[in-house]
Amino acid sequence: MKKETVPRPHFADWPTLLKDNARSGGQAQRVVHAPERALWQYRAGASARSSPILFDGVLFVTSVDGVLHAIDAATGLAKWKFRAEAQVHSTPSLCAERVLFGCDDGKVYAVDRHAGTKVWQTSAEAEVWASPVSCNGAVFFGSADAKVYAVDAGSGRTRWVQELGGRIYSTIYATEQRLYVGCGDAKVYCLEAASGKVVWSRPTDNGIDSSPAVAGGLVLVGSEDFLFYAMDANTGEVRWKYETGLGIASSPAVSGDLTIFGGKDGFLYALDTQTGHLRWKAAAGELVTAPAVIGEGIVCIQSGGTLAFDLASGKLVWRAALGGSLQSVPVLAGDRIYLASLGGEIYALQ
Amino acid sequence: MDRRTFVKAGCISSASLLIEGLDPMVRAETAQPPVPPIELHGLPGYKPSPLGLPGLFPGRVVEARDPAAIVHNRVSQPVVRRLLELAMRELTGENSIRDAWAKFVEPKDIVGIKINPSGAPACCSSPEIVREIISAVQSVGVPARNIVVYDRYSYEIDIGSYQALLPPGIRIVGIQEAFAAGGEYEPNVYCDANFFGEWETRSYMANIVTHEVTKIINVPTMKDHSASGVTGALKNLAYGTFNNVARTHRAPYTFTNPLIGLMCTVEPLRSKSVLHIMDGMRQVWHGGPLTQVQDFIDQSGILLAATDPVAMDTVELEAIERKRQEKGAPSLWQQDPKSITSNSEEFYHDASKNLFFRQPGHVAAAGKLGLGVAELNRIDHRRVWA
Repeated sequence: MKKETVPRPHFADWPTLLKDNARSGGQAQRVVHAPERALWQYRAGASARSSPILFDGVLFVTSVDGVLHAIDAATGLAKWKFRAEAQVHSTPSLCAERVLFGCDDGKVYAVDRHAGTKVWQTSAEAEVWASPVSCNGAVFFGSADAKVYAVDAGSGRTRWVQELGGRIYSTIYATEQRLYVGCGDAKVYCLEAASGKVVWSRPTDNGIDSSPAVAGGLVLVGSEDFLFYAMDANTGEVRWKYETGLGIASSPAVSGDLTIFGGKDGFLYALDTQTGHLRWKAAAGELVTAPAVIGEGIVCIQSGGTLAFDLASGKLVWRAALGGSLQSVPVLAGDRIYLASLGGEIYALQ
Repeated sequence: MDRRTFVKAGCISSASLLIEGLDPMVRAETAQPPVPPIELHGLPGYKPSPLGLPGLFPGRVVEARDPAAIVHNRVSQPVVRRLLELAMRELTGENSIRDAWAKFVEPKDIVGIKINPSGAPACCSSPEIVREIISAVQSVGVPARNIVVYDRYSYEIDIGSYQALLPPGIRIVGIQEAFAAGGEYEPNVYCDANFFGEWETRSYMANIVTHEVTKIINVPTMKDHSASGVTGALKNLAYGTFNNVARTHRAPYTFTNPLIGLMCTVEPLRSKSVLHIMDGMRQVWHGGPLTQVQDFIDQSGILLAATDPVAMDTVELEAIERKRQEKGAPSLWQQDPKSITSNSEEFYHDASKNLFFRQPGHVAAAGKLGLGVAELNRIDHRRVWA
């Protein structure tokens, strides 16, 4: 059997939602100044409802009309397009030489990242909006059929299926041993990565759309019950919770001792990860459902446009009119920002 | 006379009746442009249903209320369940909840639940109410796969997080994307009128209504509307089912009167719309339909049930008008040119300002089209308390 070589990520690579499986969201990327010019603009031909990812100089982004686009990050020209059989809302992720994404007909595809050809596909019983996550040779994803699937990363063959109590739109946070995911039944679940067995579950007071992050032994996640939770990663015990003005669909980004997320009440919140104390709260002007990403000294979000706030104070540093979005996350790569917009435009800004 | 000619003739006569009969003062003061001829094309050969508008209980509106239904802006699932049960029993006269719902849906139906997510997240059809409706429809024997929650724009459904909040098995459909044309619409079912010289003069009915669902449960919200006066059961059906409707507004004028009512007469929309559950958990008394300004959103904890959308919207109109009066805001019927602003920020933060000359007369106009009862003294308004 041929052994697969896993490409070594380049510093600027951004191979999954919020950059890596730790949801670190950029961290040392430099975008202190407002972008001054557009390097290129790419028209996807339909709305982009997910986030782009970047690997080895290629930007991968899905559009709702069912197309996975591979775009040369230097020129903005299409390298290839892969058309699925249904709409796509899922953020792609990289797994070795493959780009993974879910589809509204329940299929999850693995597409060769060089050739744009299908390597394998697997199926859930309802739409897969969450981003598939790979870890230790397995790919994990949740579906609106209320099930979490684990499939073999090489073949797509099912390893296990675990049924939960509600629709799953939250992207799984995977560690070697455990998976953490939010669910429409209002619970946060911790599953064994090897078997899918439920280790613990903890109810909130409404469904969960947000994808969790794990830091400092805490599972950090927002709920539609207006609360942001920190739960003990081992037991699910609620360590602290923070109340906002409306539901929380935005997934958190974690940097050092700061946890940052947006609220549907139109604010961006920065909390102390260990205590839940508010460090700062900044008005975004419009509701925030997309995750925040953290760069060097700043935090970026896409809301009505693209906004950057000072990481320490929450003060608005710059605002760009481009990149109005619901779920998309800007990709910060050196002095560049890549954005996907609700209107289906993909931009490279410098 | 073929159907097309008949409808056209009927509409022109209705439209002129509205302009000349309902709001003469409005016409004199604001020089609303005259209503152009409006052609309606329903689905050829469609047989109207006795359950269609105004439905089984013309003129009856049940208002169920409990202050505990919404606390600190959170809707209580158990209280909403109780309110819906009370309202449905009172509306139908049935003791059993299942029997009450069985008056409207059968196990073989494909049930469409028309939500109103515009205005999400501050004010939209509460997922808690939608969950209870789904559960009630399932109790009659309709399988989850035959229940579809839908609205026109998928991005607004996303903002409300309905996908994550509703039970597995049902379908959630946005007819079209936010900024793109397209979506699935029936080319033979449309309203045709040229209001302001627009190049596309037709608005087509969504396929999901024309061909897919067999019954519609309408879940409007309780809001003022900068153009139509209020947005309730009628507008949620009309402007959420037909495309290309923004063309009917050109500030400060709007043709929501008479178009909202006329669209609701088009088959099969009229026949399939069997029940309306109005979500008055939050009541927007200024800035609708999209405001996010909490100062203008009252947490009322009300739920209305009716088969007659005109009677329901008349009750809603009275409630919003009363609230505006209470808050010192001008009447929805006010047509003062000084109140008009083109600055949307000003509109969103000043209840004395508006973007259009509102057209709350669209509700009474729909009554004159036979869609229900608009006269308050003829409405059987029943109040039940949890």
